Amino acid sequence: MSVLSYLLVPFTHPLLIVFVAIGCFAGIYIGAIPGLSATMAVSLLVSFTYGWETNSAIALMIGIFIGAVYGGSRSAILLNIPGAPAAVATALDGYPLAQKGEAGRAMGIATTQSVVGTILGVIVLAVGAPLVSQLALKFASVDYLLLGVMGMMMVGSLNCKSIFRGLMAAAIGVLLGTIGMDSMTAIPRFTFGNTYLNAGIDYVVAMIGLFGVSEALVQITQKDIEAVKQKVDKIIPSFDTILKYLPLTIRSSIIGVIVGALPGAGGDIAALLCYDQAKRTVKNPEVPFGEGAVEGIVAPESANNAAIGGAFIPMLTLGIPGDAVTAVMLGALTIHGLQPGPNLMKTSPDLFYLIVSCLFIGSICLVIFGLTGVKIFAKIVEIPRGILLPLIIILSVVGSYAINKNLYDIFWMMAFGVLGYFLKRYEYPVAPCVLGIILTNLLENNYRRGIAINDTVPGLVASIFRSPISIILFAAIVIMFTTQTNTYKTWKAKREAARNA
Amino acid sequence: MKMKKMIALFLAFAMAASMAACGSSSTAQTEAAQTEAAEGETQAASGSVDFPKDNVNGIVQWGEGGGTDSLMRPLSTLAQETLGKSIVIQNKTGGTGSIATQYVYDQAADGYNLLMGAENPELYKVLGISELTYDDFDCVFLIGDETTGVVVGKDSKYTSLTEIVDAAKAGENVTLATTGTGGLPWEVAALITSITGAEFKQVQYDSDASAKTAVLGGECDFTICKIQSGIEEYKSGDLKWLCLLATEAVDEMSDVPLVTAEYPDFEKYLPWGPFYGIFVKKGTDAGVEEILSNAFATAFADESYQEVLKSFHINAMGYTGEEAAAYLASWQENMVNALTEAGAIQ
Repeated sequence: MSVLSYLLVPFTHPLLIVFVAIGCFAGIYIGAIPGLSATMAVSLLVSFTYGWETNSAIALMIGIFIGAVYGGSRSAILLNIPGAPAAVATALDGYPLAQKGEAGRAMGIATTQSVVGTILGVIVLAVGAPLVSQLALKFASVDYLLLGVMGMMMVGSLNCKSIFRGLMAAAIGVLLGTIGMDSMTAIPRFTFGNTYLNAGIDYVVAMIGLFGVSEALVQITQKDIEAVKQKVDKIIPSFDTILKYLPLTIRSSIIGVIVGALPGAGGDIAALLCYDQAKRTVKNPEVPFGEGAVEGIVAPESANNAAIGGAFIPMLTLGIPGDAVTAVMLGALTIHGLQPGPNLMKTSPDLFYLIVSCLFIGSICLVIFGLTGVKIFAKIVEIPRGILLPLIIILSVVGSYAINKNLYDIFWMMAFGVLGYFLKRYEYPVAPCVLGIILTNLLENNYRRGIAINDTVPGLVASIFRSPISIILFAAIVIMFTTQTNTYKTWKAKREAARNA
Repeated sequence: MKMKKMIALFLAFAMAASMAACGSSSTAQTEAAQTEAAEGETQAASGSVDFPKDNVNGIVQWGEGGGTDSLMRPLSTLAQETLGKSIVIQNKTGGTGSIATQYVYDQAADGYNLLMGAENPELYKVLGISELTYDDFDCVFLIGDETTGVVVGKDSKYTSLTEIVDAAKAGENVTLATTGTGGLPWEVAALITSITGAEFKQVQYDSDASAKTAVLGGECDFTICKIQSGIEEYKSGDLKWLCLLATEAVDEMSDVPLVTAEYPDFEKYLPWGPFYGIFVKKGTDAGVEEILSNAFATAFADESYQEVLKSFHINAMGYTGEEAAAYLASWQENMVNALTEAGAIQ
């Protein structure tokens, strides 16, 4: 019975609901501006709420977290600049939809699926937190490596003229991802003696340049085309639509929660993996993926929001952050005198259920704030390009500077814009490039960790077969790979032909 | 046709590279100009110190939510009441904190850019990470240091540091989860090696939280924890603390022995721990440094900040001026000696 009373705390303190709502509203805009992130906003709040009562501080932070994760989809759909790394996959189909005059529909779907994803994530957090955290603890380096390989398999799913072009772009990304100080040996790589390059390239910078600026450059060089008139009459998806995509939403949310709960991988990886699995499993999308498939928004958006609930799982059950935002919140809890750790659920169960209930309230706020502003937002795409394109470039400069307040990031961003422009011009896809930069860290560090533990490469491979998690991941990769080969496709076609005969 | 595309691609690269190069040279120039301008200002202001006229930047070496960050934010919130201007915290992470260190060093020595960091810069030079150390900075406030200890998972076969050392010496594979060269577990491993001669297989993780996770999940045999990051697991029994690198026992962990009980030679390195401090570039006006030191000392003495220190299990120091400089000098000397003895550096 006490659980219920803990859950209802925010309803007896309406101020908490107000804080979640304010946070959620602000979060959407923070998330929508590339370069501003939930991590940044929440850490500002640590100073700001230092003198506050713990519950209020937590409520505000949770609101921002939910809003910002969702907000990333806004700029991804409207401007092709993912507001956050977790929205990279959303841009792949969201932006083409906006180009067809369906930005409103895309944002509507993104909102409802984000809400459903958040709620599913919260349910898992509330019911299965100890179970999932035990699973997350069992994830060894080799499993993270396999997860990274799975992410890399996505290169095959991104629309490109040929697999060679996709691989080339991914290779450029991986190469760029290795720039900076090697964290294991403290030796600088490709920095040419420049201390500022020691930190490496922030992948948000690469993302803003490769997606946003390159798109602006491409459009500048094209003959003036009238901006697409946006259809804004049916933005709220009908209940039938939500129901139709529910199986995909649930699948994506489950992947989202689990990947989100892993201390070494977060919402960005979850969203990419889910986009990939959606593309592989959805048989007949109304529109092909990459050209504005609704499924291409449903999968990543439900996954990255479900990852919120996931990220809280290790934080609340083990005292280990599930991602950057929960890391900041852990610090905040300690500052407020709480002791996050394996005993937290026993010593302060009220806090656990407060967070669950704030997350739930936050997702309700998301419905309200997410759907009310859509009509005005959709108008952004209708702005004449002579005004919109310079705005995109200014936004990109400001955004890339905001990440670390580092001038070099602006230069990098511009360079990436130019690189992206030429990649697009010669029909090389830019998405694998960003994928490469995001995944390099995960792949390289876990590979080297795996080698350090198992001594040799054969030792590493053998270690895959010693843990059930590794075996499952490995099997998934093998299936993903074989179903992509021509041999399998011809065999399947033959079998179907035989069945029909 | 293909050739053409390749050439175009190369051109794109060349353009990108030249852009970055041009950009960097121009910033160097503006930075130099700024330094000159600011130097003029300091000279003018040295007669009567009017500080701060503007908001002060606090550059944190580590990420949001990390140990350093969590200590600096509340302290700054309190200190800005005395200063009368805001302290704007920015996290400039990367390169074991060397990015932030370089950044503050590149700014004018006017007290408007504070370096908020941990112990790591003391070792940059010997590790070849950077040419800078805290010798290039003045310490305006030293918050305190932390007690650390050796921890293993709850199902570990090791029950003491001696067993770990003996196993390693016998040629067994004993894995230590570290946070990289120059990080805490790496430092302590060097201390242990210099005393016992045992060497461990080091596996590197992204943060102390993920190193701890590796030990909890059984991927690695042991790691080095700060009290703060391991006390809850101690209470719940998920981690076993084998010994503390301290001269006195810790109240809440009274049954954990001191390392000197097994290896009395450790005495010469103790007390030792990672520390947290606030620094300005050398050459900053003494009056400005004093104003900053006083502001942080007032904030430090605040009851609510003492509570924060307690919940993070920090051994409070609150050193300024000479006292801080002496502490830093001896810390660096001890560590470099130990690393040389352990063969970790030449």
